[in-house]
Amino acid sequence: MKPLAWLRGAMASALSYLWSGWGAVTSLLLFCALWEYGGQVYGDLVLPGPVATLSQLSMMFSEGLAVPELAISARRALYGLGLALAAGTALGLLAGRSMTAAMVSRPLATLLLGMPPIAWLVLAMLWFGMGDATPVFTVFIACFPIAFIGAMQGSRTVDNKLRDMALSYRLPWWMMMTDVHLPHVTSYLFPAWITALGVSWKVVVMAELLTTVDGVGAALAVSRTQLDMAASLGWVVAVLGLLLALEYLFLEPVKRHVERWRTEPTS
Amino acid sequence: MSVLRIRHLYHRYGLTEVLADVGLDLHAGETLALVGPSGCGKSTLLHIVAGLLTPSEAEMQSTFRKVSCVFQEPRLMPWKTALDNIALGLKALRIPKTPRRRQAAELAGRMGLATGDLEKFPHELSGGMQSRVSLARALATNPDLLLLDEPFSALDIGLKAELYGLLTEQVGRFNTAVLMITHDLMEAVRLADRILMMVPEPGRLVREFPLAIPQAQRSSTWVYQTTAELILQDEVRIGFGLSEGDITSTEPREQIRHAGCAV
Repeated sequence: MKPLAWLRGAMASALSYLWSGWGAVTSLLLFCALWEYGGQVYGDLVLPGPVATLSQLSMMFSEGLAVPELAISARRALYGLGLALAAGTALGLLAGRSMTAAMVSRPLATLLLGMPPIAWLVLAMLWFGMGDATPVFTVFIACFPIAFIGAMQGSRTVDNKLRDMALSYRLPWWMMMTDVHLPHVTSYLFPAWITALGVSWKVVVMAELLTTVDGVGAALAVSRTQLDMAASLGWVVAVLGLLLALEYLFLEPVKRHVERWRTEPTS
Repeated sequence: MSVLRIRHLYHRYGLTEVLADVGLDLHAGETLALVGPSGCGKSTLLHIVAGLLTPSEAEMQSTFRKVSCVFQEPRLMPWKTALDNIALGLKALRIPKTPRRRQAAELAGRMGLATGDLEKFPHELSGGMQSRVSLARALATNPDLLLLDEPFSALDIGLKAELYGLLTEQVGRFNTAVLMITHDLMEAVRLADRILMMVPEPGRLVREFPLAIPQAQRSSTWVYQTTAELILQDEVRIGFGLSEGDITSTEPREQIRHAGCAV
């Protein structure tokens, strides 16, 4: 009985979550309408409309062109992103625990954040050559400070009263981490992670465009030389679609689950 | 028998001396109330006993093993359900999940929390319920020393009376020592075995009032009368700013402490 009720609850909340997506769909469709209008004004050569783009994209999928390139780009983006999130979050949490470390690392993080990824890309090309390592490194270095600052801010703003309470109960260090710091820090981490996800895709496409022979970026470079606007836009739409799917079908539901203590359930 | 012994405790924040030559003894099963006006260093003293602050100077000895605190605000973890909040101290003692949740639920039942409330998050509970959870969290580990930092000050009298009952029951059952801070003299008279009066600038203990009748035998009338008598004492009047004057006792404090008072 109990698992059944749980399943029903989970399904209901999943459905209500999807239902709440109508607002987002509406705004996307509005954007498409504007795009279509622009396409009609400027003509297919300059700006192919959404219909032309999507049909080109579906052709790319059916011919088996799209999936391997997207997989390659996704792999690079996620490797770089994964490394950046792991290292940035861990180091940021540590830095947040000490005033000195926070003061020392804050300007460094700002420096890293301000450094244009294209500059890193040039350096990475010289260091790592034209292989996978260059885009992965560039993504890593672009996403690392975002995760680092998010984690550090979160770690610095832990409620002192709660921490005192936890200390008075002699919580061991691992419980201080899992029961006091992490749940609070998570609310700072998720927005940072979502930003980093977006950055990782932008950077990977840029890096591939300049350095590699495969991946979405390289495919974009090819379609550019062929003046194939529909294909170029098709690639852009594919990347954006993946990004939206990752954020709204994975990160956002996880965030809602983890932060369910914040607000009453909506249903 | 467990004992907490403090002698010559001094504490300074920067150049400001907040506690000067504080000394007290607390034995198992005893309830000691620290009363005094705001800013007299009561909370600082409690934080020192709880191990959250290191005093500038002190001779401190404590043989109590399990110490629990209840703070003025409930200080519940907003991301934990009521049940997991109560079980926090048990988790720190590495009691596995199922038994600690069972223990917490059983205690919560005695504290007047409904089963339905246990799976709620703190923001879904009323203020009174949060206070119960906070007290239950402190009692869950069966502490031998309980530190109370005005936990009842924001509650209505009905709820206060109820929580007093739960507290004294627990203290009686497990011979827990209690060090409580309050600025409510009546609360001190109702619950404590001894009352220590603190005054500010710098925070120090000026007088001890032992209470003659055991806690369980105190009637409301006795509590009202004793409180009234207590308020007439010079140290109390001056300490709380009800009368003008200085507390300039030159006698060694130990002697004053054992002189007691007639109430």
